[in-house]
Amino acid sequence: MTKLTNLAALALLAFATFAAPARAELTIRLTDGVIEPMPVAIPTFIDEGGAGDIAASLSRVVAANLAGTGLFREIGAEAYISQVSGFDAPIAYADWQAINAQALIVGAASAQGDQIVVKFRVFDVFSGAQLGDGLQFAAPAASWRRMAHKVSDAVYSRITGEGPYFDSRVVFVAESGPKNERLKRLAVMDQDGANVQYLTDSSSIVLAPRFSPDGSRILFTSYQSGFPQIYVMDVATLQTRSLGQQEGTMTFAPRFSPDGQRVAFSLERGGNSDIYTLDLNSGALTQLTNAPSIETAPSFSPDGSQIVFESDRTGNQQIYVMPATGGEGVRISNGQGRYGTPVWSPRGDMIAFTKQNQGRFHIGVMLTDGSEERLLTSSFLDEGPTWAPNGRVLMFTRESAGAEGQAQLFAVDVAGLSLRPVPTEGPASDPSWSPLLP
Amino acid sequence: MGVWRDMDTGTKASAIAHGALILWVIVGDVFWPFDTSSMPEVANVSLLSEADFAALQASAPKPEAPSETPPAPAEATPPPPKPAEPPAEPLPEDLPVADAAQPQDAPPPVAPIAEVEQPVPVPQSETPPTPRPMDRVAATPVDEQPDTPDVADQATPEVSSEAPPEAEVPPPDQPAAAPQEAAPVVVTEADPAPEDAPQLAPTTSIRPKSRPARPAETPPPDADAEAIAAALAEATADAPAETAAELATDAGASADIPEGPPMSGGEIEGLRVAINRCWVTSTLSTEAMNTTVTLRVEMSEAGKPTSIEMTSFEGGSAAAADRAFEAGRRAVNRCAGPNGYDLPPEKYGQWNVLNLIFDPNGMRLR
Repeated sequence: MTKLTNLAALALLAFATFAAPARAELTIRLTDGVIEPMPVAIPTFIDEGGAGDIAASLSRVVAANLAGTGLFREIGAEAYISQVSGFDAPIAYADWQAINAQALIVGAASAQGDQIVVKFRVFDVFSGAQLGDGLQFAAPAASWRRMAHKVSDAVYSRITGEGPYFDSRVVFVAESGPKNERLKRLAVMDQDGANVQYLTDSSSIVLAPRFSPDGSRILFTSYQSGFPQIYVMDVATLQTRSLGQQEGTMTFAPRFSPDGQRVAFSLERGGNSDIYTLDLNSGALTQLTNAPSIETAPSFSPDGSQIVFESDRTGNQQIYVMPATGGEGVRISNGQGRYGTPVWSPRGDMIAFTKQNQGRFHIGVMLTDGSEERLLTSSFLDEGPTWAPNGRVLMFTRESAGAEGQAQLFAVDVAGLSLRPVPTEGPASDPSWSPLLP
Repeated sequence: MGVWRDMDTGTKASAIAHGALILWVIVGDVFWPFDTSSMPEVANVSLLSEADFAALQASAPKPEAPSETPPAPAEATPPPPKPAEPPAEPLPEDLPVADAAQPQDAPPPVAPIAEVEQPVPVPQSETPPTPRPMDRVAATPVDEQPDTPDVADQATPEVSSEAPPEAEVPPPDQPAAAPQEAAPVVVTEADPAPEDAPQLAPTTSIRPKSRPARPAETPPPDADAEAIAAALAEATADAPAETAAELATDAGASADIPEGPPMSGGEIEGLRVAINRCWVTSTLSTEAMNTTVTLRVEMSEAGKPTSIEMTSFEGGSAAAADRAFEAGRRAVNRCAGPNGYDLPPEKYGQWNVLNLIFDPNGMRLR
């Protein structure tokens, strides 16, 4: 009997042992990260022959681009413990960890014929691993800045997951002269303010330039005829033509459709402004709104199915969304103050706008249904936001107060990070971001 | 007799029973002598005057706050003086002297507290037996247990019996069993999946490994051995072979991992804060900020991560999850520093594997 009892106990013990599941593991939920720039080390790119100063310049532009986003902070070379002796040299991760560099960018440049070849790698220092594959670009030496922007885009996208935007341009209105007699002309520059080129002279006032989706054309409003009218410019040839003048009307606030085949704009007739579209191929004009109020500032959704615009139909300037074929529209702005100049994000998820409330101007964003409104800036006068190609950064005009006040371009991350001025030669306003360059 | 005859049967029976009872009370002592051994002894009491009583009261130590202290049961309060002496005469219960003479340094009323705590194991015994966590039993050296199953079943006594005389005895105020029972519930089993429920200790699974090698010429298999083999085969028939193997391996691996008392809330919060401090979310894309990733982190005993892998994600694309994973991995590696996380080594068995859920959703609008 005792043996049988022992047998049963042994069998039960064996069964319990083999049936026992794995040990429970400690689980912790983390919800409170920190919002601060990521420290990165960008040693001077190695000159592997013939690159000269370009190698160093490349690394400086890359560092400026990344730091300019507000998402990264460059660690100065004076803090380096070890140097990068060669592009393929092993990485002394401990040395870079010691200075708290979370990412390390190692690059090299060389001259091959009339081309400059730049290559780079990104390392996750604390994981001791390379992030993605290394890349290299080749271009004429004169285009070294574009190569730097390409490198910046690759690093930025690899670390953040956002789309690139450094290799893009901005068209804007360059201003000069006193405030009450301001001269204005169109200009285009790299997104970081470099390589400025003027597109028009200052013989007539120009306003609101807008890039076409492929970047080959620019719409703008000019007072060349004495009244505001819309023109389109070919960026390559600088040839300009009017989109059609109708006697007794004014046209302004133009914007391309996503396919570049149509233009939505405001047409004022008899003191009343409504929104129209013009088919650039057929010249057909379609009226989308018909109200006694002022409807203006149309902007297509990325899929071209909807248009967001501003209207004072309720007596107060607000933002509405209507089908691209026209209609009454649905008001989406519901906060205090006045809303204007809405722009649909290229990603389609948000709408940027200008808001005036309690004597202050703001640049803000909201979801396309008007929810989750966030104000990113506040000043005496902020207006006219434009989206970067990746939908993560906004550029806008900030004008200072007083008789000597001047307009200046600013950029801000959509999360409200890194509000910074964009360097220009003089006062500037009305920016419009180009698509990513090919 | 006429009266007796007129009585009904019930009345007669009652009269007979009452008569017998009266007779037993009167003369029953002759046949069944009274057992005086069970009678309480009577103590001699001397009468005191009021002045003597006051003098005694003044010289006796005064109990502290008698109104707030619940009266200790007589059996719970041993006679204060000379516990080694022969048992003193039990004091009559009707005498208030016992309470009044309670010494000032009498232990706090342990009995009432015990009455509250003692019932706790009772419902546990009534419920289906809760398997003990694996890591807790792992602290018991299985290979040191005797070879016979009879001894192995008595797990608790073995620990003390096998300990050398000079071995450290757990502090009396920190019984090993009590906090271990509470730890998995509070810390790691808040929402366990059914398969992650507490399990029986795998101690016995490796017992065969520690058995001494049998002599080459083993006796021919007898009926007992065959019965044991059959019982084992039957018992393990339902368990998948690979699972059993895995568990056996896990049990063997975890046998040497110190489990220790449960991770305190402060220790867990400290780890959470440390990782949060290094979790940079500003470089996450908009989509990655909507993506929650779960990382499985294996830790060395020095508190350093040795392996980090993403086990799941939700809310975003795979590319966004990759970026979120990299940000979480950077946080874990970065804040470990050269010296590792400050975690209690005696509880290594509880943090040797971490599941870290990085959820940035609440930070999108900050």
